[in-house]
Amino acid sequence: MTNEQEATGKNEEPAACEGEGVLCEASVRALRVGHGANCSSVGSVIDTLFLGAAVGGAVFAAVLAAMKVEPVTVVGEASRNDDDDETEDGEGT
Amino acid sequence: MIVRYEPWGAWVKAETTPALVALDRDGVRALGLDGGRAWREGAEAKASPPIEVHLAVTSRCAAGCEGCYLDAHPDGVEPPAETIERAFDALAKAGVFTVAFGGGEPTLRDDLGELARAARARGLSPVVTTSGLGLGARKLEQLRAFAQVNVSYDGASEAYESVRGFDGAAAAEAAITKLAGTGVVVGVNVVLTSGTFDRTKETIRRAASLGATEVQLLRYKPQGRARALDYLAKRLSPEQARGVGPLLRELAAEHEGRVRIRIDCALVPFLSADPDLASRPSELARWGVLGCEAGDLLASTRVDGRVAPCSFTAPTDLHVEQLAKGWAGEPGLAQYRVYSSSPAEPCASCTLRTVCKGGCKVVSEYANGGIGPDPECPRVREHAVSLAEAGAAE
Repeated sequence: MTNEQEATGKNEEPAACEGEGVLCEASVRALRVGHGANCSSVGSVIDTLFLGAAVGGAVFAAVLAAMKVEPVTVVGEASRNDDDDETEDGEGT
Repeated sequence: MIVRYEPWGAWVKAETTPALVALDRDGVRALGLDGGRAWREGAEAKASPPIEVHLAVTSRCAAGCEGCYLDAHPDGVEPPAETIERAFDALAKAGVFTVAFGGGEPTLRDDLGELARAARARGLSPVVTTSGLGLGARKLEQLRAFAQVNVSYDGASEAYESVRGFDGAAAAEAAITKLAGTGVVVGVNVVLTSGTFDRTKETIRRAASLGATEVQLLRYKPQGRARALDYLAKRLSPEQARGVGPLLRELAAEHEGRVRIRIDCALVPFLSADPDLASRPSELARWGVLGCEAGDLLASTRVDGRVAPCSFTAPTDLHVEQLAKGWAGEPGLAQYRVYSSSPAEPCASCTLRTVCKGGCKVVSEYANGGIGPDPECPRVREHAVSLAEAGAAE
């Protein structure tokens, strides 16, 4: 991270993951913190755009760390098929 | 953690650190998961169902806000709990993550807490928006069942009244205080109008002092009772629209780490006037900034169960109980997705195109009678001026 990036909050592209099977920032296409609590329109967190790169990286790290330990529930698989087959062959660990 | 596989990877809703994450396939595999049939060849052919649905649990409301986008009334309809629970079943089957209770005024329902728990039991995250009017101990207890509660709060008395036509600021402020005091995660919805825009910082300071931890800024939209000539006076001026980016920068600096600042989908076009933000589309996308997601990541349902692309658009013939099967093929939804994926100029050449997705279609439909470039977007305004000048010169 450069001094300019730290000062302006402009984050450089995340580095590639270190090795296969490692969950890291580079695998995150998008991250929106918090709940979407409004009932009329989609909300986007905007203050994260102005965070320093270090703070932004910490946000990513916290979410990724949480994801590694949370139990998984897979939803919605049947919705991409025209039948009512509820089989979840994508079920995870 | 809830995971929904997509052809490109998966949407993930983290619970302990609340967040919505789009992970690529490598990231999903790193969690020990595999997308199965969603990752097989040809899976991209169908549009994925929404991840967020706004559910009208009543059309009753006694507040009488001048700009109510649903034109709610005291004698509105309140669907039975069984009907709403069937909607929850359908949302869960489709893979929806978040159900946002709206109305009407949701707290007028006596079974609101039970409904929130019913949503949770199906794996949905229930959130709700309320005016805060008449929020007694019993309703407060019901609201504890929600992941987050947002209170409509447009500012202190004068500002509030200028938006809604009555002064409900004290009730909203009391609601924020009570909710925060009982440990409920509470945010505020702040509608930006020409009359309140200059007081936004003051409004947010006040909300934060009362315990709000999140602010959602909303663009005033021409729908329901706001679909009138009065809209033209209440919408943000061109100068104010250009000032949204700088305002957000100031708000973020002032409230960093204490209050989360959010904007709604319809404010995203205004970021095009901010040279810094307009030059960072990949960062906006990476931080989950969403423009018009109507009929895509977002849907809305009316009290009669009909599904609409968003809360401000006309409902389609699709019923929520058919959401999973009917989502991809419903033409009233598809037209929004199609336009968002390839908007006309000047949106087509805008750096923010993939984030903004052509701006607010509700505004373009109001102004021009159909889906098209958002006429209040600063870039669209400049484009229109350029065309007019070129035409005059010929």
